Amino acid sequence: MNNRRSHSVRQLLMGLSMVLAGMGFIWGIVMILGGDWYKTGLKFYAGEGAGLTLSWKVDGLTMFFLFILLLGQFFSSLYGMGYLKEYEEKNKSLWPFFVTWFLFLGSMFGVLLADDGFSFLLSWEMMSVFSFFLVLYEHEDPQNRKSAYIYLVMTHVATVFLTAATMFLYVKTGSLAFEEWAKAAPGLTIFQHNLLFLAFFIGLGTKAGFVPFHIWLPYAHSAAPSPVSSLMSGVMVKVALYLFIRLVWLTLGPGPVWWGWLFLLVGAISALVGILSASVQSDLKKLLAYSTIENVGILGLAIGSAFLARSWQNTLAMELALVAFFWHTLQHMLFKSLLFMGAGNIIQATHTRNLERLGGLLKRMPKTGLAALIGMIGITALPPMGGFWGELVLFQSLWVNTLNLTSGWGKVSLPFFIGVIALVGGLSIATFVKWFGIAFLGQARSPMAQSAKEAHVVQYIAPFLVAGLAVLSVLWPSALLAMINVPLSAIRTGETVTTVSTIGKPLITASVYLIVICLLTLIIVMLSKSGARRVTATWNCGAPLTPSMQYTATGLTKPVRILFSKVLGSQRQVERDIAGKGYSLRSLSYQGRIKEFFEDLLYRPIIRWVLWLAYQIRKLQEGSIHLYLGYLLITVIVVLFLER
Amino acid sequence: MDELVNILTRLLMGLGHMAIIIVVAPLLQGFIKKSKAFWQMRQGPSIFQPYRDLYKMMKKEELISEHASWIFLLTPRIALASTLMAGLVIPNAWGWAPLSGWGDLFIFGASLGLVRLFLTLSGLEGAGTFGGMGSSRELFLGLLTEPAMLLGLIVLALITETSSIQGITTNLTSVSPIFIPRLLALLTLGLVSIAEMGRIPIDNPDTHLELTMIHEGMLLEYSGPSLALLSFAEQLKQLLLLILLAQIVWPSGLVLWSNGLVGFLGALGFVCLKLAVLGFFFATVESLFVKRRLFLVPNYLATSTATAMLALVSLWIIRGQI
Repeated sequence: MNNRRSHSVRQLLMGLSMVLAGMGFIWGIVMILGGDWYKTGLKFYAGEGAGLTLSWKVDGLTMFFLFILLLGQFFSSLYGMGYLKEYEEKNKSLWPFFVTWFLFLGSMFGVLLADDGFSFLLSWEMMSVFSFFLVLYEHEDPQNRKSAYIYLVMTHVATVFLTAATMFLYVKTGSLAFEEWAKAAPGLTIFQHNLLFLAFFIGLGTKAGFVPFHIWLPYAHSAAPSPVSSLMSGVMVKVALYLFIRLVWLTLGPGPVWWGWLFLLVGAISALVGILSASVQSDLKKLLAYSTIENVGILGLAIGSAFLARSWQNTLAMELALVAFFWHTLQHMLFKSLLFMGAGNIIQATHTRNLERLGGLLKRMPKTGLAALIGMIGITALPPMGGFWGELVLFQSLWVNTLNLTSGWGKVSLPFFIGVIALVGGLSIATFVKWFGIAFLGQARSPMAQSAKEAHVVQYIAPFLVAGLAVLSVLWPSALLAMINVPLSAIRTGETVTTVSTIGKPLITASVYLIVICLLTLIIVMLSKSGARRVTATWNCGAPLTPSMQYTATGLTKPVRILFSKVLGSQRQVERDIAGKGYSLRSLSYQGRIKEFFEDLLYRPIIRWVLWLAYQIRKLQEGSIHLYLGYLLITVIVVLFLER
Repeated sequence: MDELVNILTRLLMGLGHMAIIIVVAPLLQGFIKKSKAFWQMRQGPSIFQPYRDLYKMMKKEELISEHASWIFLLTPRIALASTLMAGLVIPNAWGWAPLSGWGDLFIFGASLGLVRLFLTLSGLEGAGTFGGMGSSRELFLGLLTEPAMLLGLIVLALITETSSIQGITTNLTSVSPIFIPRLLALLTLGLVSIAEMGRIPIDNPDTHLELTMIHEGMLLEYSGPSLALLSFAEQLKQLLLLILLAQIVWPSGLVLWSNGLVGFLGALGFVCLKLAVLGFFFATVESLFVKRRLFLVPNYLATSTATAMLALVSLWIIRGQI
């Protein structure tokens, strides 16, 4: 009885979340078609008190990210409607989930709409705290508690930097409004300007998942329930990137050239480290989380290229980079939600996140598999899906930047970044072939995978809808370009980008490519259909084939691990138990481990230092009442001395 | 109305472009086999043998592993289709490519990447060890070849200031053939092409020995029409890479209708000659060297990436921009 009520509550609330998102999306489109207001923005105030104002603003940039948020909300809610059923079956109360779900979504809205430092910090903190609660939802597992803890610590380190920057700007301008900050920015000394940039970079970069501030991301994104993972990876990370544009590009900028280089460098390192770590993972969701770091890195490269082009007054390269940025933001949201939904379905069907225990799922979960395949082609940035066309525009932007630079070593390093992205592309193919191939193809590697069943209807309808949208965005690039024009018109002056303008032209190729390749495949399928087919055993030199003969997830990317062993810090331990004279082996155990490079080299020393400091400070508090009276005396003397 | 005629003409030209590539690909394969036979002092099969092989395989019954899913059958079709898509950006004998817009050079590598994705997936389909071994190695090689190939093309794009392959080959006619960056970029692409074609010293196309095979390992479970399609896709890829190299070594520029029939046939003959020379060259390389161990391949491909960077640096030094 209780179960049934909970059942309808779940459907009602998730349905509400979906309807709200859908209505918001349609309303947004109607508003944008209604006029040019989004170029300057609409302001509204929520209230004043204690000298603080809660002020909000909607402009084109906000609108674009609102669309991303609403789409993410819509699909995650639809998916969650089915996914959350499992918790009911476990008799786990869903109320904490629902409350934090709505508050989390609401606070992301707040961050996007905030127009002053106070409302920004307020909603930013709310976003962090509520996502923390969502990560902690499955708190029974100690691993999840650890993940949530790391997340909470890192996100607060980030907030410290953001608060410091906000305070500094408030002291300088006497106002918390972003507008006033933008006006004051040119008046700052170079040192202050750069310091503020670095504070924002660290603060926002932590939330976005830039290396080396990324360590929380793989833990938190994989610990959360799958609808939340898809929301965190697809949307929350983008909110941080939105703030880069809002606070750095629009408020602090234009800045010195090195800002652009920093973005490029950190972006390239994030992309490489992210995908390298992903390629050696065997955890279904952690692999996806690492791939989020990779994609954030690519978005960072796009921002970097845009910043450089802006300092070099290269309008064409700047617009290309911005188009690539917005295009990839949307595409990554779609594909990452799709893949997290696929991972969620697998986890519910097999109750394991370990790739080594999966296999052969495509036959048992064909619909989930098809959706995951589409997502995987998109995320590896291969044509004909949208991931590739965004990267093509980014390549083009870096290329134009190189060509138009008059002189300097930048002409060598910019193409080098193109090479890095190509390497990242190759690595991501390896990563996702492993993700998909090991989980869905071959034979089942465990009884759980053997008995897997297709997920509930909404759980594959949601990813199908996302996949459909992804295909539509390639088939009809002018619609997506029209959407990209909304933020573009708010952050720069210039003509709108369409499929007939220089920038949009390669994107029309996208639809042509998709149509032609589908037609060609269809023709080849038709032509090669005749002929007999027979199902037989796999050839195995005559021996019977067992599931353990297949390549494992670890084995598939072993060459990558060997090649990058210095970077990954991979270690192996083999223990042999040899009997007698050493000719017969009694047992053999193998242990491989990947060092968490940044955790061990950067964070461990910091943690050790902080603990040491805390230990030193503790000496002040010896527990002796005489010492405390002495402190009081000293304090009184100091106060009297100051007030003299 | 004019626009419609324009689109139709382009469509017909595109179809013709594809038809030529499709017809010529097995012939090149036969020629390379014949050249290898020459170095091995044997008669060798006729240069038309690949056509006969493909025809024969199309007629055969197809065996499918019991563990395979629909991706197993889809792979050969997609592989062939996307190899053909890669062919759309490679200029043909008359220096014309159906896709020649902005940034089309990136499409070439990416389309080959799609082939790789599906091939490596179906390597895992059979649930055996050999397929997995092939996939694992192919993925490893893929991530190393991709940056080298892209950087090589980028350098050429920077030399010629255009980012479509057709534009590159057209503009290269006015660049000196011994321009150092151009030679270095050519070296890069030459080294990468050997890896992409799956030839010695990277991979051996003629063996089915599980310790050495890469590409053949993934194809092990295939038979009949699917195998024919995959071998054909491989031959196409080989042709495309050789045309690309040929057009960079001796670009023929854009040949228009106005050059007359003689000019037209001349261009075709010229390209055939170039392909023959290059094919013979690669057959010779294959006869002279031995296959390298898998973990020596990164050095080989790093050489080609480094060459591309060297080409880039030398380009800006020569132009006085560093």
